Amino acid sequence: MCYMKGGDYVTQELTKANINLYAVLRNLEDLCELDKDMKTLIKNISMKIKFVVKNGPKGYLSFEDGTCTFSKILDKCNIILYFKSPHHFNQMIDGKANPIPLKGLTKISFLKNEFITLTDKLSYYLKPTPSLLENETYLKNNTILTAYTAFFALAQVGNTDPIGKLSAKRIPDGIINVSITESNTGIHLVAKNGHLKAKKGLSSKNRASMTFSDIITTNKILTGQIDTYSCIATQKLQMKGYIPMLDNMNKLLGLVSSYLQ
Amino acid sequence: MQTYTYNENQKLFKKALNLIPTGVYGHLGPAEGCFIPVQSYPFFSSRAKGAYFWDVDGNRFIDYMCAYGPNVLGYNDEDVDMAVAEQMKLGNCTTAPSSIMMDFAELLVDTVEMADWAFFAKNGGDVTSFALMIAKAATGRKKTILVNGGYHGVAPWTQKLGYPGICEEDVVNNLYVDWNNYEQVEKIVKENPNDIACFMATPYHHPVFTDNELPEKDYWQKIRKLCTDYGIVLAIDDVRCGFRLDMKGSDHYFGFKADLMCFCKALGNGYNFSALCGTDALKDAVSSVMYTGSYWLSAVPFAAGMACIKKLKKLDGPKLMQDKGKKLTDGLVEIGKSYGFNLKVTGVPSMWYMRITNDDSLTLHQEWVSECVRRGAFFANHHNLFINCALSDEDIKLTHEIANESFKVVKNNHKEI
Repeated sequence: MCYMKGGDYVTQELTKANINLYAVLRNLEDLCELDKDMKTLIKNISMKIKFVVKNGPKGYLSFEDGTCTFSKILDKCNIILYFKSPHHFNQMIDGKANPIPLKGLTKISFLKNEFITLTDKLSYYLKPTPSLLENETYLKNNTILTAYTAFFALAQVGNTDPIGKLSAKRIPDGIINVSITESNTGIHLVAKNGHLKAKKGLSSKNRASMTFSDIITTNKILTGQIDTYSCIATQKLQMKGYIPMLDNMNKLLGLVSSYLQ
Repeated sequence: MQTYTYNENQKLFKKALNLIPTGVYGHLGPAEGCFIPVQSYPFFSSRAKGAYFWDVDGNRFIDYMCAYGPNVLGYNDEDVDMAVAEQMKLGNCTTAPSSIMMDFAELLVDTVEMADWAFFAKNGGDVTSFALMIAKAATGRKKTILVNGGYHGVAPWTQKLGYPGICEEDVVNNLYVDWNNYEQVEKIVKENPNDIACFMATPYHHPVFTDNELPEKDYWQKIRKLCTDYGIVLAIDDVRCGFRLDMKGSDHYFGFKADLMCFCKALGNGYNFSALCGTDALKDAVSSVMYTGSYWLSAVPFAAGMACIKKLKKLDGPKLMQDKGKKLTDGLVEIGKSYGFNLKVTGVPSMWYMRITNDDSLTLHQEWVSECVRRGAFFANHHNLFINCALSDEDIKLTHEIANESFKVVKNNHKEI
């Protein structure tokens, strides 16, 4: 199913850049938890990279004590990577352009080695093949990372894409919990006055919830192999609470796929 | 009290999923119908009679959704079915329509206070869409004022930008106002003096998931005057309320006169047709618009409609259903209160909306409704409910017993209440 994006080219590039930073690259923090090799790779690394996109998103990745953390709040950093536009940043994510390093030229080896290994591994998990999905561990990691990408991207689509903004405004204020029963994966989406924020973990103050019964169902729904309505009917996807929140969130989820194609 | 199981329902539903998108689509299905949790609800009926339907596992339900409105006299009403059987012998879908079409038009014009003519189609959405076309043809204008949260069917213009299958051009001529906010309507009209063809709304506000709201004093009278002053067609979507508030039309119930009135659900006690009634001033515009369908003039539904409307008049159906609804809902509220639940009832009792207000998520309400369904009282948790004339005092008593036990179960699961 193809949902229609809103806005002009510039707006669509901005939405995509927001998704690429706040949903796709943000995933490095989960990758370093899920994949033992990646956890080992960053074990002794202390590094903070700032991403600055002119007229676009800003954020930084911090590697410290064997963990990776993404934050929107800018702090002191070792490396600053500058992008002259959202389009430039999107081109970099697609491997078609290079960033402009403003600070940290002496740390460039980290970017050329460990960081490339990390982003390659993230691509490996986010771009599955049928044979890779036969591996249970791969399937699980792919699904969790895809779910994080989708729901963090959903907030960006709701905040930036003109049609997404319409759906976001229709989400009544409150918190939506999204979880995958089999994997202890939880995300909550905070909706307030039409603005959306995605956060990891579940909230005890949620007004609605959407629960995927298992990894395979989650994978199939998020990759468009089965429709949500059939899954609701067969209890593989359970919805509860204030349904107008979920109804409009699901319309945003449909729009996300048109940006991640 | 025994709770129901649904083995055969689930078996058939799995089969349906392979044959029909989502198994049962739309408002009767588990997704749009908000079956929460799904395992508490039946998917398929095997038969129906009076106020009840039986599912394919043999479970009997007192049906408070009434097929979302069409069941107004009781399922398989003998008078309606007899009229249908007689007409079947004579003919149904024929090249020259049966004269019963004219008989029914006469009955409708005699019944509905504002009606000078009647036009027939099949579903509510057929006539709401037609009402807009007539308004545009009559005024030469293109914009429509609609109320936020109002439901007028599933045609593209009734949906919203951002919904699958809807593009900007589908809804570009819609202007939205909040219910009961006359000032908003007046402002929009004055800002677009020569652009607005139609104001369309339901007689009172009955959205899903939200308390229903009656019109404030003089709301409709002020809207009527504004529409007249600015040459705007006032179209009332009486598809859901029609003949559950007033046999003369819901505009009559609220003391004003619409230009167009859309009817469907309660017209033929389940036999499928819809009607648009209007004033003489719009008759030319109606005639100018090409609008028709293969089955729209079939005779059998008109026979059902003749019997249904006559019987509703004889019974004073609207009053009967409102009295039954009041008795039912007063009892439900009292029973809820005894367990610490605040069950809020809004709307007109013949098609009331209810929700437990102890939380703001409807979770407690969803749990209570699902317990009621599993014990044989079929409610929906998100939509207004419906009374039919066949509902008996014994049914209401049994519903109160079911509600009582269901409140007890929910209370036990939520000791904090």
